[in-house]
Amino acid sequence: MLLDVKNDVQEIDRVFARIKEFCCANNISEKKCFDILIIVDELATNIVSYAFDDDQEHTFTIMVEKESENGNEIVHLRLSDGGIPFDPLKNPGPDTEASLENRKVGGLGIFFVKQLSDHIAYARIEGKNQLDVFVSLKEEE
Amino acid sequence: MEITIKKDSDITIVYPSGRVDTLTAKNFEEGIMKIISDNKKIIISFSEISYISSAGLRVILVAGKKIASMKGQLALADMSEKIYEIFKMSGFDKILKIYPTYSEARSSFDK
Repeated sequence: MLLDVKNDVQEIDRVFARIKEFCCANNISEKKCFDILIIVDELATNIVSYAFDDDQEHTFTIMVEKESENGNEIVHLRLSDGGIPFDPLKNPGPDTEASLENRKVGGLGIFFVKQLSDHIAYARIEGKNQLDVFVSLKEEE
Repeated sequence: MEITIKKDSDITIVYPSGRVDTLTAKNFEEGIMKIISDNKKIIISFSEISYISSAGLRVILVAGKKIASMKGQLALADMSEKIYEIFKMSGFDKILKIYPTYSEARSSFDK
């Protein structure tokens, strides 16, 4: 499934609906679907909020495919945007040990993506940020 | 996002409903902050929340900081397993009071 998404937060409802349809059609559990929704939400929100700084309308893509890797079923997400170069893997994570007073409010989105996925790869290809995220469909205990 | 408010003596119970995501977080923040400015003892029930992203956790963190600075009390309750996992993953279970049920959150205020 390939979605063309505008850099507009209102797009999130449509993206959610399409991901849910995808999960349903592929017999993906509610739990895993929740994880996939969070991953897509966080990454798409980052693109909408930070990738473009010219107030123009832009379109980026979200690919969602169910694949098989060494006999294990995985969901492969690929987000591709022509925005300013941004490698989320270089983003320092939040300090989850900090006290309430000292806890900073940002940085959680990318942290969620890392925690909920099995593998992430970033590349800058032909002027585009390309982020591949792999989510194993094997249910954890 | 709809936010329902109930009163239980001096405790204010807040029931947001639906999804807390980028789209609804602003509304959620405005609602919560308004409630905080008038009330000292607050329980946020997640019984009607189906989804929360980092945008929602950000609001809870900001609210928690604000309430702490006002020497108020905040407890969170009624989270589904998935929602609780997200809070735990964020380390929020260590900085905020999270109870399985409303009544447990309620009795934590009596001590």
